[in-house]
Amino acid sequence: MALPQRRTDIGPPHYRQFMPPVIDKNYGKWKYHEVLTPGTMVHVAESGDKLWTVRVASPRILSTATIREICDVAEKFCGGHLRFTTRNNVEFLVSDEKNLEPIKKDLAARGFKMGGIGYGITNVVHTQGWVHCHSAATDASGIVKSMMDELFEYFESKRLPNKLRLAVACCVNMCGAVHCSDIAIVAVHTKVPVVDDEKFKNMCELPTVIGSCPTRAISPDPAKKSVKINPDKCMYCGNCFTVCPPISIKNPERDGVAIVVGGKINSLRSNPKFSKLVIPYISNEPPRWPKVVAAVKHIVEVYASHARKHERLGEWIERIGWERFFALTGIEFTFQSIDDFTFMRDTMRTASTFKW
Amino acid sequence: METAELQDKIFAFCEAAKGKKKLKEKDIIKGVSAEQNVPPDDVKKAMRAMIDVGRLMYSYGGGASSVEIPSEEYLREKGLIK
Amino acid sequence: MKKYNTPLIDQLEKGPWPSFVTEMKKAGKNNEMSNDAVGHLEKCYTTKMGYWKHGGIVGVLGYGGGIIGRYSELGEEFPGVAHFHTVRLNQPSGFFYTSKALREICDIWDKYGSGLTNMHGSTGDIVLLGTKTDALETIFAEYSSRGWDLGGSGSDLRTPSCCVGPGRCEWSNYDTLDLVYNLTQEFQDELHRPMFSYKFKIKAAGCACDCVASIARSDFSIIGTWKGDILIDQKEVQNYAKKGMNIMSEIVSMCPTQCMSYDGKELKIDNAECSRCMHCISKMTKALKPSGERGATICMGSKAPIVVGSLLSWVIIPFIKLEPPYTELKELLRKIWDWWDDNGKPRERIGEVIEVKGMRSFLEAIGVPPLPQQIKEPRKDPFMFYTEGDIAAYKAKEAEEKKTGKYRF
Ligand code: HEM
Ligand code: HEM
Ligand code: HEM
Ligand code: HEM
Ligand code: SF4
Ligand code: SF4
Ligand code: SF4
Ligand code: SF4
Repeated sequence: MALPQRRTDIGPPHYRQFMPPVIDKNYGKWKYHEVLTPGTMVHVAESGDKLWTVRVASPRILSTATIREICDVAEKFCGGHLRFTTRNNVEFLVSDEKNLEPIKKDLAARGFKMGGIGYGITNVVHTQGWVHCHSAATDASGIVKSMMDELFEYFESKRLPNKLRLAVACCVNMCGAVHCSDIAIVAVHTKVPVVDDEKFKNMCELPTVIGSCPTRAISPDPAKKSVKINPDKCMYCGNCFTVCPPISIKNPERDGVAIVVGGKINSLRSNPKFSKLVIPYISNEPPRWPKVVAAVKHIVEVYASHARKHERLGEWIERIGWERFFALTGIEFTFQSIDDFTFMRDTMRTASTFKW
Repeated sequence: METAELQDKIFAFCEAAKGKKKLKEKDIIKGVSAEQNVPPDDVKKAMRAMIDVGRLMYSYGGGASSVEIPSEEYLREKGLIK
Repeated sequence: MKKYNTPLIDQLEKGPWPSFVTEMKKAGKNNEMSNDAVGHLEKCYTTKMGYWKHGGIVGVLGYGGGIIGRYSELGEEFPGVAHFHTVRLNQPSGFFYTSKALREICDIWDKYGSGLTNMHGSTGDIVLLGTKTDALETIFAEYSSRGWDLGGSGSDLRTPSCCVGPGRCEWSNYDTLDLVYNLTQEFQDELHRPMFSYKFKIKAAGCACDCVASIARSDFSIIGTWKGDILIDQKEVQNYAKKGMNIMSEIVSMCPTQCMSYDGKELKIDNAECSRCMHCISKMTKALKPSGERGATICMGSKAPIVVGSLLSWVIIPFIKLEPPYTELKELLRKIWDWWDDNGKPRERIGEVIEVKGMRSFLEAIGVPPLPQQIKEPRKDPFMFYTEGDIAAYKAKEAEEKKTGKYRF
């Protein structure tokens, strides 16, 4: 069979051809929206036209078989129209109210989970992990699955003071805005990497490797035509491994995860914030990471019972103070929570006004 | 300068850097343009034409992309060298 | 096909949340590559280690981005994942699809790849997970002949992405979908042929809610905003109050600039003092809406923590109009890339280069004046530089003052 003629630099297809007629007609002329249930909302246009959205969870990794099933549903109730969200949920775009209850019934019967809209927990932004990345210190998809099974009621029905955004990064590269989430899990290495001197010679460029280390822990080892690493300076970022695979940082018994909290992306009320370290280390426990899941659930529950309406996790903590957050959650405060890297001067307290 | 001649110069420029320095597109454009006294846009066009047929290729390593000479087997297979 | 015993990852098929393991197994039913990916993953769970190799140069002829090479160290044990490259397909703006388009993507992927996808990768692309080197040109021909092109990877412009914007949101201050489509088309060369020092990401959000997290994960964040007043429909305000909203505690006292007041009947906003944070509007969407001139704030420089620490984007241009053909924005991007090209070392994101070279040098290069909207607070130390030009300008101002007898500080 002849191969079709390749074309270059054509860019993506134009989005407009994929929109349902109701969007095409009311494009840019939406008036307001209402969240009907955690899985459904309605957008109303200035013309009075309405568009119902039904949002369902996705594991992000999708087989073509499942994508085809999603297509079947969209064809049955939405004229074939659907979209995905930035957090990898699927949204069915329903133009006719008559189809709203039937599509919900159909989705439920097929086992799709509706939810994620409004003040609860939506899908988790995460990275590739053992499924597909060379750098991973854990498996992001496995942690996400375990965590969302436990927190599922906050996706489907139960409400919180505001949105709560979760993220998982499978190494400190943190592909995916993990660093600005309400609660994020970051996989960490905890041991100085080991250099394979023989392979180093052939595979790595000395200046690049030395230059890659943010703490200048790496120096030349001329005798071995390799490098040595100063254990007092190394903080296991893995940057050297990225530039030079023979510097091995993976260690199954020592790799684990840390938990950071209180970040946000939007500018509502307060400025966007980074997430901050509260739990420095939990061992990798596949397949279900029970302690990680318990820690996240605990923080969610303390937030749910203490924050004021509309307060994001980070805003609540800033109001009550970090010392109060550690007291309320009972999380042990450790040296790792004191920034002794780039930001010490900005993060130490410089007043005697704090809470007991 | 004829395009074919310019392309040979570009190839020689990349060959000289092989194993020493990873060249970005701009390094080649600036370097060859200065060396041969040819406008940068001409160098860019000639280089792109080489990339389009596989005589040069984009590579990736050291965290950044570069332009390199493909392996000899590859060039031979494509009929780009004898 | 080999049948793998997978007791560990089987446990991730239980529970209410949709299971990625189930997806992998579904794809593996009639696909050798995905089947081996399942076995490979079980092995990772058993040993608590990954086995992917960081390596290999693969791509399609003429392009330097869009394909990510991936090999397993365990290629002998799991031949289906010996090669398992990623194909990044450029998504349509706003992730809108028809089932016809998705089926087309699936049909090709089943034929030449693993049948596994990410909808979508964090870059915004459609991520097709797992194929072999010798299938890449075929895959590219199949997709591109049907109107689908590759996205970015490596030191290039990464695939721009945006929020749903005017497609389905009442708050969008410019057409995020059109802007991203337009920029992607304009910069196809920068997207496909790596010519930068490192990656460069553009993300476009229609308002300060920032549903694409542009402020945290793009070198160039475009965040919609407006200049006019917030229009108030007092009847709708009363409706919210009637439905149980406590206007005082939920809206007025949570306003960060304290520019709102409410006497139980009428809601007032001192618009000059509003910082356009979107809190009140997002809570009372029927009652409040922005008006007047629309555009966006341009922020720059955010990145994840590798290596010296995370950055959030900094305000560079407080307000820019965004209307087709977006000439001003495109010229700005070109100026920025030229400066980066002249000043950046390999693997330095633009935010890092700005830190090294100084904000002044950057702003001058792109022709943006210093503005108080750019900063949280002014410099705290007196260790600053003066150019000859600065002093001459300050002296000239003083000479002018002597003439007019009026100080201008
Ligand atoms: C009409 C109103 C809105 C629409 C149509 C809209 C749409 C969306 C969509 C589709 C997503 C992806 C969600 C998911 O995958 O679960 C999203 C994410 C998000 N939205 Fe909105 N949104 C709206 C209002 C808001 C408001 C009022 C806020 C903030 C108060 C907000 C903040 C966010 C944030 C922070 C994210 C997550 C971004 C991320 O971390 O990836 N949105 N929005
Ligand atoms: C000095 C050496 C190296 C550095 C600094 C480095 C850095 C990086 C960085 C930053 C990325 C992320 C790429 C992006 O998304 O733009 C990456 C990806 C990658 N690197 Fe390297 N790398 C180095 C060497 C290597 C070597 C020697 C190989 C292979 C033999 C390799 C194979 C890969 C592959 C296949 C990816 C793609 C990963 C993916 O996105 O799936 N790298 N590398
Ligand atoms: C040393 C640095 C880095 C390395 C070695 C690296 C490597 C990789 C690799 C291998 C992948 C592909 C995973 C896969 O699909 O197989 C990837 C994906 C990605 N990287 Fe990086 N990366 C680095 C830095 C960064 C940085 C700094 C950013 C952003 C600021 C970034 C953003 C991304 C994104 C958005 C993806 C797609 C992730 C997804 O969809 O799950 N990377 N990176
Ligand atoms: C292998 C490495 C990385 C990969 C694959 C990766 C991938 C991604 C992806 C796919 C996103 C997009 C999220 C979205 O569009 O929904 C993303 C975002 C982000 N990344 Fe990375 N990233 C990597 C490394 C890093 C690093 C090292 C940093 C910072 C130093 C970083 C900072 C960010 C930030 C701030 C965002 C905002 C959102 C975003 O693009 O998702 N990333 N990354
Ligand atoms: S966070 Fe680390 S391990 Fe995970 S996908 Fe990114 S680079 Fe790979
Ligand atoms: S792991 Fe990081 S800190 Fe340690 S030697 Fe390598 S680059 Fe330096
Ligand atoms: S960023 Fe603003 S305009 Fe865009 S979808 Fe979110 S709320 Fe709407
Ligand atoms: S948008 Fe924000 S600052 Fe402006 S009035 Fe509303 S709450 Fe106050």
